[in-house]
Amino acid sequence: MSNRNRGFLKKAARISAAALLFVPLAVFAQSSTAPSKSSTSPASSSSDRWLHVRVISSDAKGETVRVNVPLELAEKVLPTINKDRIHDGKLKIDNAHANDVDLRALVDAIRTTKDGEFVTVQSNDCDVRVAKESNHLIVHVLDKNRSKKSQVEIKVPMKVVDALFSAGKDELDLVAALHALSGQGDTELVSVKDDDNTVRVWLDSKNVTE
Amino acid sequence: MMLLAKAAIGIGSTLVLASAYTFHEGIIRIDVDEYHSGGSHVHLWVPAAVVPMAMHLAPREHMMCAADHAREILPIAHAIMKELKRFPDADLVEVMNGDQHVQIRTSHGKLQIDVKDPGETVHLLCPLSTLEDVTSQLESNAPGA
Repeated sequence: MSNRNRGFLKKAARISAAALLFVPLAVFAQSSTAPSKSSTSPASSSSDRWLHVRVISSDAKGETVRVNVPLELAEKVLPTINKDRIHDGKLKIDNAHANDVDLRALVDAIRTTKDGEFVTVQSNDCDVRVAKESNHLIVHVLDKNRSKKSQVEIKVPMKVVDALFSAGKDELDLVAALHALSGQGDTELVSVKDDDNTVRVWLDSKNVTE
Repeated sequence: MMLLAKAAIGIGSTLVLASAYTFHEGIIRIDVDEYHSGGSHVHLWVPAAVVPMAMHLAPREHMMCAADHAREILPIAHAIMKELKRFPDADLVEVMNGDQHVQIRTSHGKLQIDVKDPGETVHLLCPLSTLEDVTSQLESNAPGA
């Protein structure tokens, strides 16, 4: 074998050794992620429910915020948050008897009662309406005080309200509420319109915003 | 001559295999462009498989320190990355304010963060599986884990 060939083979052997050394390292690095690969297919399921939040500011810059979150993701992530009042997917409320009103008792009463209007206020300043319609809790507030009227519409399925108050006393079960929400059809939950912002929170099966 | 050919085939196939293993996880891409005099322009492409590998080789005390710093958000980040892989591509967050635009989205199994500002542009692209692996490794290195 000529010296030239011998030199080339030595080089080849060195490169092969380096490459072979690299392969097991790469395999080792992949090994911890490999098991999860089977579940990584991002197949869209029609049952996936997405919570959408859209805030559009009416200022000169027209600030817009869009958030799209899969409900299931929120359900899984919420229990991992343990900060301040949120623990294990539950929100601690300091005083459930706010202003001498027992919120849980109130929810129980609303749940068992038939559809109807519970609160109706009509004044020069504002209109307020709280009602139960088709198993939804409806809150409507129209503020007439401002230069431009502001309007708040909240429509929450009673199942979600039940789930929210299903935890222990002085706690709101956010995860249970999200779970109950995922069983609902496409619905608009919150709509706020005033002279500064337009806010919309809604639920559907689309993973894109409008 | 035959020996040389065999060696070349061996080297070639080994390199192809190594490359396939290195790149099948995808690439982490970081692009930062600052549009002012002296502004930096960083364009970094790293095989995603290198990151977990490097973490395995990193000194344990450094990993523990990093995990300690991030301990509050680690479980949340891990849960998000783990779950996000199950969903189709989506625009998760989008903020537009005049000339500024921030977008966080998932695309083909990668988390993509784009920040566009008149002064700078930042693009970050990282496979979700790598982020999951990184958070998982940090969690396992957290003090008391």
